Amino acid sequence: MPDISLKSMTALGSDDALSETFGAITISERPEVAIASLAARSDAPDPISVFGLSLPGPGEMVSGDGITIVWSAPRQWMILGEGRGEQDFASDVKAAAQDCSITEQTDGFVCIDLVSNSGAQPLQDLLMRLVNLDPARLAPGCATRTLLEHMSVFLIRYSERRVAILSMRSSAQSLWHALSTAAGFAAHRAEVRA
Amino acid sequence: MSRLPGGLIDRGRTHSFTFDGKAYHGHPGDTLASALLANDVRLMGRSFKYHRPRGVFTSGSEEPNALVELGTGARREPNTRATVAEIYDGLVANSQNRFPSLSFDLMGVNDLFAPFFAAGFYYKTFMWPASFWEKVYEPIIRRAAGLGSLSMDADPDAYDKGFLHCDILVIGAGPAGLAAALTAARAGAQVILADEDFRLGGRLLSETHRLDDAPAQNWIESLEAEFDGLPKLRVMRRTTVFGAYDHGVYGAVERVADHLPDAGTGVRQTLWRITAKRTVLAAGAHERHIPFANNDRPGIMLAGAMRAYANRWAVSAADKIAVFTNNDDGHRTAIDLAAKGVEVAAVVDTRSWAKSRGDYPFYPGATVSNARGRTGLVSIDINYAGGTERLECGALGVSGGWNANVHLASHHRARPVWREDILSFVPSGHGGPPGLSAAGAATGRATTHAALNDGARVAAVALSDLGIDALLPDLPKAEDEPATSQPYWHVPGKGRAWVDFQNDVTVKDIELAHKENMRPVEHLKRWTTLGMATDQGKTANVTALAIMASLTGKPIAKTGTTIFRPPYTGVSISVLGGGDSGQNFRPRRLTPTHVWAAENGAEFVEAGQWLRAQYYRQPGETDARTSVDREAAAVRSGVGICDVTTLGKIDVQGADAGAFLDRLYCNAMASLPVGKVRYGLMLREDGFAYDDGTCARLGEDHYVVTTTTANAGLVYRNMEFSRQCLWPNLDLQLISTTDAWAQIAVAGPESRTLLSRVVDGVDLSNQAFGFMACRELTVCGGLRARLFRVSFSGELAYEIAVPSRYGNALMTQLMEVGADLGVTPYGTEALGVLRIEKGHAAGPEINGQTTAQMLGLGGMVSRKKDAIGSVMSRREGLVGDKRKLVGFVPVDRQKRIVAGSHLFSLGARHATETDEGWITSACHSPALDSFIALGFLENGSQRLGEVIVAANPLEGSQVSVRVASPHFVDPEGARQRA
Repeated sequence: MPDISLKSMTALGSDDALSETFGAITISERPEVAIASLAARSDAPDPISVFGLSLPGPGEMVSGDGITIVWSAPRQWMILGEGRGEQDFASDVKAAAQDCSITEQTDGFVCIDLVSNSGAQPLQDLLMRLVNLDPARLAPGCATRTLLEHMSVFLIRYSERRVAILSMRSSAQSLWHALSTAAGFAAHRAEVRA
Repeated sequence: MSRLPGGLIDRGRTHSFTFDGKAYHGHPGDTLASALLANDVRLMGRSFKYHRPRGVFTSGSEEPNALVELGTGARREPNTRATVAEIYDGLVANSQNRFPSLSFDLMGVNDLFAPFFAAGFYYKTFMWPASFWEKVYEPIIRRAAGLGSLSMDADPDAYDKGFLHCDILVIGAGPAGLAAALTAARAGAQVILADEDFRLGGRLLSETHRLDDAPAQNWIESLEAEFDGLPKLRVMRRTTVFGAYDHGVYGAVERVADHLPDAGTGVRQTLWRITAKRTVLAAGAHERHIPFANNDRPGIMLAGAMRAYANRWAVSAADKIAVFTNNDDGHRTAIDLAAKGVEVAAVVDTRSWAKSRGDYPFYPGATVSNARGRTGLVSIDINYAGGTERLECGALGVSGGWNANVHLASHHRARPVWREDILSFVPSGHGGPPGLSAAGAATGRATTHAALNDGARVAAVALSDLGIDALLPDLPKAEDEPATSQPYWHVPGKGRAWVDFQNDVTVKDIELAHKENMRPVEHLKRWTTLGMATDQGKTANVTALAIMASLTGKPIAKTGTTIFRPPYTGVSISVLGGGDSGQNFRPRRLTPTHVWAAENGAEFVEAGQWLRAQYYRQPGETDARTSVDREAAAVRSGVGICDVTTLGKIDVQGADAGAFLDRLYCNAMASLPVGKVRYGLMLREDGFAYDDGTCARLGEDHYVVTTTTANAGLVYRNMEFSRQCLWPNLDLQLISTTDAWAQIAVAGPESRTLLSRVVDGVDLSNQAFGFMACRELTVCGGLRARLFRVSFSGELAYEIAVPSRYGNALMTQLMEVGADLGVTPYGTEALGVLRIEKGHAAGPEINGQTTAQMLGLGGMVSRKKDAIGSVMSRREGLVGDKRKLVGFVPVDRQKRIVAGSHLFSLGARHATETDEGWITSACHSPALDSFIALGFLENGSQRLGEVIVAANPLEGSQVSVRVASPHFVDPEGARQRA
């Protein structure tokens, strides 16, 4: 392991990952997630799997053993590695998919988790304030790219209670503002209803 | 007036509120209008033009008269309709458009000058002199005529927005809408039921109709209970669907907290964009009135509204009322109010064949010809065959029939069609928003029975379109009495008879418009202002065009309507804005070293969405130029560091990556050796230059392209277009990595020394890592990095890239280990100074109107290969342009040159014909201790040394400048190769 003398900083500009709770929803920055993009070479056969996971089709994601794969475009995928944010993840992916073009994207994006502690509804109430997506298109196992407050984002639905958002790292603070504002309003609304 | 019995108000609780400073009481369930009527307040506003006293005219969102200001301070909101404002404890309401008070309004003098304010008076009166319009006439008109006023303070409330998706959107929760929603929800469809009211039921709330021989409220309550258990049905009260947009998207505003004293930490309103596969428009109908002389007296209102106030809100505008009608519906008002103990003085029916339907004085074949009472109705004149009679009454209900509410069905420029049998426009069924079908009274099927069944039927058809089988629900038995309206449009006579109350348009105005040939409905609208302003003529338009039809002799069907457009009712700009303003109005991008820069005195500047350090102010530096000069000088003499992450980075991989880049750049890239960087220029299809940058070859089939900050998105988009559409057969993979790498420029004669202190064991000597070299390496103990030896400043310089999370720490590290070298952070201003001194083109030079040849880069456009724009760059018009990029030094070196100045020969007139070019960039050069500039000049390269004029006619200034080489510093380029 290299002994790097530099200290990393999260996309939100601090030493530690930020986390905040609004009603049933907790929003957390996930700097430990590593990301690499994978694109099939046109002269190579369609890749079938990476790290033992089948590459998903449009609008889908697969996840297992700390790896998540998201379809991003025809013959292109985003590979996420849990707990590998400080590593040279792209090299690992390259080793696992030598016929493909791999590009390091760990710091191209900020990864933020939205987790509900009370089933799917609070997450649904929040997402409908953020993205113009039919909830049916974001069921568990779905992943898609869409617009959120003028920012391009990937939404990855891990489970009923958890969605991960990937967005440009440089606009992490704007994304955090958008998420926390909407979550605050949604929580207030839920409180009034209850 | 005490309350009548019954009604849907909560008498157990009381709300206090004020109107024009006076305290009143009402109950939950009241609107401001019903509560004011319950407190004997009939006068609620003043008219737009003549400042005539006005009372409430309707009981819904179509209200033209009772417009008030709600709230105080920054929360004051003008032009809200008292008829839909729910009261709450502490509500503050004020009348508007009056001075000094509502009951005594000095501007009422306008009424005396009414003959001068007839239709089209703006166009006729204020023709001369033209210069008076803006400074004299318009301010006077705006002060005299108008609605409420804004607080001029920033809106303190919060707003948000959201997106909803459904199979069926039902607009309106009256009998048709409820039946439609019930049908669709029971079928298991995803359903949204939206209504602008705070209660479900629509017109059922205002009538005494019985459903299955029980009060309608019973049925509504049972439905609400069932709705609560249907998870796929979303019931949205207080939600106005205001427009139908493309692709089945509807705009809606939910008034989340307008009915609460305080929104707390929540939002006031939410803007919803609803994507609906099918839509059932069950918006009901609006009653129309019958204009007669002085029909705008407070106390005169629509008969249906009078009935609604009595039945739903248990209030009457007066103890003694009369009704003027041309249909059976007016009789209902008399019957319902009489049942509540209100004295009915008369029912005046224009139909001679009509029969009385209750125990009240009845005048068949008669009309109301005049009304008296300046600030409240006192009496009416009744005209009948052989006589006139004056009758005392405090309120008059007028019914001229009902207009189907075709508004949303007529968006997308659909034209409703006239049905003579029911005297109403109805949706034609084609040309409107796709997937939208009207049901119930909105399409003329207006009895309760018809509305219920039509709602269910239309929903079932819509569901069937979506492949969802639906059973028609068991609907309650309801009244099914057909409408029997007589086409009676206005009472002829001498006095002014109002058609459009809000805009003070009378029958006479329409007659004048006809006389002046403003006959098509769109002309009629503009000439008279009919149908404009907040109510958009909902109670006036059909009556007006029927009057116009009678004047022209054309049938109503041929006269047609004006175009219907969103919004259906007024929508606040704040909610359309969606919430955020100021700093968060749009996303901001921060560089990886932003935190460090902020801690070290950086002044930031916006570069598109990015915030970049413009310069770093040091203690004692009072003006920006001092800081910028210091930073630029430090780079020339020692070493400076600057975050250049914002420049676009695009990862290009694949066997055909080189061939692809050869087609994009006008110069060759395939021939670039691995481990080298080349400057590249991209042209547009039309041959003009559009972006420049560097291209580094990291491997046989791996390049990294850099773009300008401004064009990062554009270049990537064009590259994707080329990859996907122009040359899909190339083996090529593209992806942006702009954000992934923090890139820091290290520039100046000491840059090699500084960098060698952070890179891990790599020989940076000129022999090992020469000018325009690049490689992957590690820094600071093993961190992966990329190093490029490129120079924007003309000095020995590098750009070092590390994963973005380490950018801030690398900046700190470079500052620490370079302290003895005098390492200086520099911002975008110094970056600009350095590149102007060096004569490097940037955005101001590559502005989309300049060519490679003009930039002095004509030789870069390779003739050995084709690339986008290469051939077009050789066309005559572009090759013939003699303007060239050159430098300029003021004759008086301390005289500032303004970028954007135009260039003229000495002694020439300053005009377009004599214009010889323009200044693109200008700065103070610390290296030359002089102001300098770059610009394009006619035959510039042959005019070195000539003195010309840079003129700034906008500011009336000019400066004499000497033409120079654009390379002010180190023209041979020895420094960057050192």
